[in-house]
Amino acid sequence: MNENETNAPDFNRRDFLKGGSVATLMTMLGGVELLAQTNAEPAAAQSAAAGPKVKVALVGLGLWGREILNTLARVPQAELAAICDTYPAAIKRCARDFPNVPSMGDGQTILANQDIPAVVIATPTHRHKDLVLAALKAGKHVYCEAPLAHTMEDARAIALAAKAARQSVFQAGLQARSDPQQYFVLKFIRAGNVGQAVLARAQWHKKTSWHVQSANAEREKELNWRLDKSISLGLVGEVGCHAIDQTAWFLNAKPRAVSGFGSLLVWSDDGRDVPDTVQAAFEFPGGVRLIYDATLGNSFDGAYEMLYGANAAVMFREGKAWMFKEVDSPLFGWEVYAGKDQFYKETGITLVVDASKPKPPAGQVEDPITSTPLFFALQNFVRNAIDVSQAKKSYLEAYGDADPEGLNEHLAKEVQRRPAAGYLEGFQAAVTVIKANEAILSGQRVLIQPELYELS
Amino acid sequence: MKTRTLIAGTVALLMATALAAPAADQMTAYSSSRGSKIRIEGTANIIHPTWQVESPFIAGMLEVGPGFPTEPGQALTPGKVEARATNVFVQVRSLKSVESNGKLYSDKMDEIMYEHLKVDKYPAIRYRLTELTLKEAPKSKDAPYVLDSKGELAVAGITNTISMPVNVLPLDNKKLKITGSVTLKMSDYKVGPVEPKLLGIGIIKTGDEVKIPFEWMLMQRPLPGAAATK
Repeated sequence: MNENETNAPDFNRRDFLKGGSVATLMTMLGGVELLAQTNAEPAAAQSAAAGPKVKVALVGLGLWGREILNTLARVPQAELAAICDTYPAAIKRCARDFPNVPSMGDGQTILANQDIPAVVIATPTHRHKDLVLAALKAGKHVYCEAPLAHTMEDARAIALAAKAARQSVFQAGLQARSDPQQYFVLKFIRAGNVGQAVLARAQWHKKTSWHVQSANAEREKELNWRLDKSISLGLVGEVGCHAIDQTAWFLNAKPRAVSGFGSLLVWSDDGRDVPDTVQAAFEFPGGVRLIYDATLGNSFDGAYEMLYGANAAVMFREGKAWMFKEVDSPLFGWEVYAGKDQFYKETGITLVVDASKPKPPAGQVEDPITSTPLFFALQNFVRNAIDVSQAKKSYLEAYGDADPEGLNEHLAKEVQRRPAAGYLEGFQAAVTVIKANEAILSGQRVLIQPELYELS
Repeated sequence: MKTRTLIAGTVALLMATALAAPAADQMTAYSSSRGSKIRIEGTANIIHPTWQVESPFIAGMLEVGPGFPTEPGQALTPGKVEARATNVFVQVRSLKSVESNGKLYSDKMDEIMYEHLKVDKYPAIRYRLTELTLKEAPKSKDAPYVLDSKGELAVAGITNTISMPVNVLPLDNKKLKITGSVTLKMSDYKVGPVEPKLLGIGIIKTGDEVKIPFEWMLMQRPLPGAAATK
């Protein structure tokens, strides 16, 4: 990505306009079947010709791990080969819905299994590093949930190991980076349609305790890792990493500093030392800031992200996006035909990637899980794993194994990857939220030097 | 009796010499190296009037005799050239559908293609060179040598003879670039017509004729039995 480090974040017009006026118009109308650009094919059509599958194991069956499991089961190119958790009750819960998938209590067994080329790691954040490093060493393709790690050292270790494992696919769990809807809006923004960036805002409000009960005191401590500030990045890391990364992605810049505040206001009686309400202000180059707030104390207005520009604001909410134009911004013309939704006194013009996609025939309901960002992220991981494995096989068949560097170069340069967050994106997002958490816990402004984002 | 034995013996020796492979130092061996490309370009009635699939791999070895250009600017006489390429192949699963700008197009189209090429039974498209003739020497040092080739192409279990001109360009560092293009009918290999139903929008029908341009990169290798230096 072209990083303009010294100027204000500028929405890059060049790549979009290169597409030509007809393509621009079609994309603006939001209605063209973006089969080529997005490859967002409905699940029913996909399972008809799924092609080769890859065996995938899942380690970590907590709340999010179960979400991954249900989603992975719907990815036509994935074959669930094993599930794993150190907590027998978690395994039992999943085995009910997936009785035919082997389960085990120890991740090492999976890593040693040569028949399973890909593994998804959804353990608690502080337990990512050992598993990821072992999996990469075993030559597996790895999907590691975000944030990658809770410390700079661990995040760097994971990213460097992924960088060195050139014959493996490494994907960070920043699922928005695989979502066709996000790419659609990104193109729109890069075309300069919102004007000079003014502000970004993101919130995540949900009244919930995060506390998990267990009869066993030791198990309860393990299950409530999110509430222990020595191993948890709290709300800004565990939840905020997605919205914060998305903002950085759309602004095409990385924060230089972050200020933060945190308070424990509602859930203060269970011994936790992690704030249940946080705010953070991220400073991007050129004076643009992202104001992030998250709370476990109130649910009003849920979660959404906003990008405010001099010509228009864009809102992202629940997988959809809307544009709110300023009265003095130039007309495109197509707004007249676009869908609109009312938000109190504001009219939002829908920006939807598949607005004219034929709706499923009556009686046939589209599975909502197969249009979530997580689905696209897992599907792209699996497809990239298949493509890289096949390319490696083809290369070795064609040229033999005398030139491993040639193979690495071929895999890096000539195998097209489907959109996904790689080790660098995962690492940089981790750096940002680790620093944000530092700011929140100290109530201070924390500088993020540019070299912290670099991987040597 | 003795004379007849002598003559028979000499004839046998001469025949054996003639039939034996030329001495190793007369042949030059090349093996595939990175940078090759092969494309299959076709047509369809709707949605995408033209389509293309690509693979970055052409595998195999080529052995050539003294009449074949191995150095730039070599002076050679037009005529038949000794050459052997018996195991040239393209893995079917390395072929991927692409947009005209090279971006990946569709997994589903790839799978439909693999099915029509009967990939499980015939995982590779194979070629065997049977004849090579140098047509003319190049006008300049940088221009390629033009040769006429004849060979057998096996696709989805059906083998046909194909003839095509090829351009051979010897490069520095003992590399070689062979380019060419052949137009075939899919029906000659009992492939297709491919009529995928995509997303319920209707029946697409592909045209029978396909054009296959290729660029095969090779590098000189020591022949087996010759002093091996890797």
